Amino acid sequence: MPAVQAKSISCPNCGGPVALRGFAHTLSVVCPQCLTVLDASTPEVQILQTFQSKERVNPTIPLGSRGKIGDTQFEAIGFQVRQVSTGDDSYSWSEYLLFNPYKGFRYLTEYNGHWNFVHVETALPEQSRSAGKLAMRYGGKTYLAFDSMTANTAYVLGEFPWRVQVGESVACQDFVAPPLMLSSEASAGDITWSRAEYMRGSQVWQAFKLPGSPPPAYGIFANQPSPYAGSIGSSWRTWLWLNVALAGLVFLFMVISPGRSAFSDHYAYSQGVKSDSAFVTPTFQLDGRNANVELSVHTDLDNNWAYFNFALINDQTGQTFDFAREVSYYHDSDGSEGSRNNTVIVPSVPSGQYYLRVEPEMAAGSPYVRYELELRRNVPNYGFFAVAALLLLIPPVLTTFRKGSFEAARWRESDYAPAVSGGDD
Amino acid sequence: MNAPLFVIYGALLLGLTGVAEYQGWSWNRINQQRVLPKSIRDNPGAYRSSYGGYSRYIGGK
Repeated sequence: MPAVQAKSISCPNCGGPVALRGFAHTLSVVCPQCLTVLDASTPEVQILQTFQSKERVNPTIPLGSRGKIGDTQFEAIGFQVRQVSTGDDSYSWSEYLLFNPYKGFRYLTEYNGHWNFVHVETALPEQSRSAGKLAMRYGGKTYLAFDSMTANTAYVLGEFPWRVQVGESVACQDFVAPPLMLSSEASAGDITWSRAEYMRGSQVWQAFKLPGSPPPAYGIFANQPSPYAGSIGSSWRTWLWLNVALAGLVFLFMVISPGRSAFSDHYAYSQGVKSDSAFVTPTFQLDGRNANVELSVHTDLDNNWAYFNFALINDQTGQTFDFAREVSYYHDSDGSEGSRNNTVIVPSVPSGQYYLRVEPEMAAGSPYVRYELELRRNVPNYGFFAVAALLLLIPPVLTTFRKGSFEAARWRESDYAPAVSGGDD
Repeated sequence: MNAPLFVIYGALLLGLTGVAEYQGWSWNRINQQRVLPKSIRDNPGAYRSSYGGYSRYIGGK
């Protein structure tokens, strides 16, 4: 935008100079010295309002500053503070009037560090409903009703294309489709619709080359885009592909770890037949790489238990894997408990010639038990795959939960917040 | 977690699962004793198991 000399008038109240940057568009201007609101629509500048507030508010973006938003350079020419009072509670936000001689007026609003770039629309949105909520259709998008309020102008500075007055009030309604927001302002029978797009403070600071860094944004604003938008679908898609890869891994190990039987035999044990129940099996060969060995015990126990001490011993090196398993099975008319079988997986057993040392134990006076020992080499451990499948669920579930929490926090501020039952407050 | 991080996390998890399967890891507690004399084969009762001397309740359903 070329540098244009601002027109200047004298304030009829204090005599101070008042710059006019909005050319013929400016209908009212505020004297920066005495804060008197002046009618700038005629050459004879008249006083519209002489008293505002005793406290001056300094705009974060100084009036007269120029900033590029999109590909258009705007000049900040007006500033107002608007306030909403609801019972004991009141809050306010700032609005900057931006001007470009070719593009006209835009607004920049700020609330708790959340910024919006606002364009007044000429077309009317269409009322509709979405998910049972009041909504507006505009420009192919559906905006959900968020809140409604009556806003009062609490402070003005600079110039405006309407006859601005402190204390004037408008009925506002906001509809959101993050990062966009559609707002209506109604006063004296006129309704103005505007469309806002969310901006981060850093974008405003960069656009207007403001010194320092923007204050942090507090809370979640109505049309603030969710940081998780789009990430849920992507997250679940990634989860799906990783599960396909996991299934491929399962298939691969079913092929390369077929679980070949290395040893199998049947035995019987009777408590008290001999004092030393330990015995060793014949040797058997475990081939291949370091891999696991699965030992299964199948018994004919009936309302009894047996305990087996095992040692898998390498015949050449003496390397021993020492482990034990209990097998117990009880049943009555109410049902059953335990199992007649048990299994143990011995990890990372090197190849070699092995034998098993077996030492069964039972309670004194127990009848004899017949059992079978079956030893299989290199079996797939499906527990690892199950744990991997569970751990793969964590990221998408977490993302879904965080997005839900973000949206819940957004809608808690809304007049159309989902009803919460069972609360004390 | 964004998608690239999730892919890295998933790849590491699948890699670890593959290693665990290939190496034949197990959840089971196994006491590995490195050296045992060959005489055990002839006299299995001389060996004292780490899990021996089992005592449990006598009961059940």
